Amino acid sequence: MTLSVALGPDTQEGTRTGTVASTDSLTAPDIPWNLVIWNDPVNLMSYVSYVFQSYFGYSESKANRLMMEVHKKGRSIVAHGSKEQVERHAVAMHGFGLWATVEKASGGPGGNSGKSAGSGQGKGKRG
Amino acid sequence: MAKAFKYGLKGITGFLEPAERDMLRSLIDDVISMLQPAEHASQDPLAALIGLDMDVQEPTDRAVKRLLPNVMKNDDGASLEFRQLTERSLRETKIGALRAAALDLDKDEVVLTAEGARLWSMALNDVRLVLAERLDIRDEEDAEHVHLMQDWSQAEDVESYLALVYNFTTWLQESLVQAMLQSLDAKA
Repeated sequence: MTLSVALGPDTQEGTRTGTVASTDSLTAPDIPWNLVIWNDPVNLMSYVSYVFQSYFGYSESKANRLMMEVHKKGRSIVAHGSKEQVERHAVAMHGFGLWATVEKASGGPGGNSGKSAGSGQGKGKRG
Repeated sequence: MAKAFKYGLKGITGFLEPAERDMLRSLIDDVISMLQPAEHASQDPLAALIGLDMDVQEPTDRAVKRLLPNVMKNDDGASLEFRQLTERSLRETKIGALRAAALDLDKDEVVLTAEGARLWSMALNDVRLVLAERLDIRDEEDAEHVHLMQDWSQAEDVESYLALVYNFTTWLQESLVQAMLQSLDAKA
């Protein structure tokens, strides 16, 4: 369970108890999942970048790069993690009004380091 | 006329005319009423207390569906299951932000903490998402078309009036988010 997801300060709180995946996981905890943000013509580019910076703790340049990927390619994988983690992120994104979905990562367990969020080429139109 | 939000010593400040505040308040009230969870006769009170809603369905109204989207692209069953566990609390989060913003509308000058600004940006975003559905904004071209509508003297019908309101809330949210990004920079 060492997917290195760049979790922001907000998201650390929920997992601080240290009981990683010891609770009710319905799926195997080490299958990586992606959090996908979809483009829409309403959300402001500045707002999307603000959400990525403030919620995930991403740098301005990383937040802007992901935001531009959403804008130009129609979608971007902005975080990886266990199913529970990305679902929690998705609810937070819906709270902000961003259009977010979760999907199983195509690489399979250990397939991707999970480090480079946003390098989603090749798994673009999956599912 | 409203003044753009600014980041400064007092936090994030903005200024709105009474007519603008009335308009925002009524937009916010509309979105709150769309988000109020339906009460089911069969609702288990304990389930409601912990945020579960086993009777929930995918919204039929497009605007509500945009506010509360499916969590999986091609799995309606799994999305519905997730909705049963999370939708009620998501509705409450959104209503909380909308109410917080409405409460700040009692004075011309709006002074916001970082948290208050976050709630305002969420509330304005949800208002814009609903207006955009009503205006049938489906792509960037539609958005551009609506954006051209800037002159209040041209407002002759409901659609052009809605377009002007949408452009006003867009401008307001953009100025707020710019001020919020400045405050993030200042903290970094």
